[in-house]
Amino acid sequence: MIKFFSNSNIFFWIEKLTNFINSIFFIVLLVAISFALILSPPDYLQGDSVRIMYVHVPAAWIGLASFFCIALLSLVNFIFKIKNFNLISKSIAPIGLVFTCLAIITGSLWGQPTWGTFWVWDARITSMLILAIFYIIFILSYKLISDQKKADKISSFVAIIGSINLPIIKYSVDWWNTLHQPASIKILGASSIHSSMLVPLFLMFFVLILYCALIFLMKYKTEIIRIKKKNLKRL
Amino acid sequence: MISNLFSMGNYGFFVWSSFFTTLLVCAIFYIRTRKTLKKYEKEFAKEIEDLSVEQKKVILENSKIASQVLSSYNKSI
Repeated sequence: MIKFFSNSNIFFWIEKLTNFINSIFFIVLLVAISFALILSPPDYLQGDSVRIMYVHVPAAWIGLASFFCIALLSLVNFIFKIKNFNLISKSIAPIGLVFTCLAIITGSLWGQPTWGTFWVWDARITSMLILAIFYIIFILSYKLISDQKKADKISSFVAIIGSINLPIIKYSVDWWNTLHQPASIKILGASSIHSSMLVPLFLMFFVLILYCALIFLMKYKTEIIRIKKKNLKRL
Repeated sequence: MISNLFSMGNYGFFVWSSFFTTLLVCAIFYIRTRKTLKKYEKEFAKEIEDLSVEQKKVILENSKIASQVLSSYNKSI
């Protein structure tokens, strides 16, 4: 089992998975975009501006899920000291930052026609901005601290502290009176979105997940090579 | 049909900007990530090539990653 998770085995599977994702990605992207921009109906209240949801919501989900993964891996790594977990967290962080920023930007573009403003210091939006700041601190801790062990510790600490923000983001729309609408899709319970809109939403989510997997695999591969390169210099 | 697609019921600017920004950012991020990976692969392969014959042999025998990177680098040039 341990041999299966060795870097050389992972490296082999990264190559295979990357090729597989590359082969299906553009077809799935085309189908998802066709659904999101052409085939799905406009909303009875928001009209066609609802289509922004198909990029905004998956981006926000990925931004949140990535930080959750980083926090979880950091916590486990803090206790069990598993080196690979640091590499995984380090590879996920830039993806999370990009998607959190995309969620903020697309949210802002959705806010103008819906609320009449690009930005408001609303609880949900502000807490998403704080999440982006935590991502930046996490990434900078690796860039600015040359001592690897120290960087690992500080970044893990940042991730664990930052995870406090996750339930705040999730429940901000319930705890405070915000401009941002409450969640329409619930993990437990019925969603208030019609299936004609749920299909393109999940298709776009699937495409972006595939994209994230592709980026993650490339970043993880880069990290493995970086370590091997360092080891080579020691010879 | 096409003009409706572009105007998006007068929300065209917001809808298209959202999709265009997302696709552009994703494309730039993909290109940058791939470029960094290729740079590291190239540097690593070159460092292996620069080793003495014996050292190179030992590394290629013991490291699957090194042999994979080297073979993919040799294929690309």
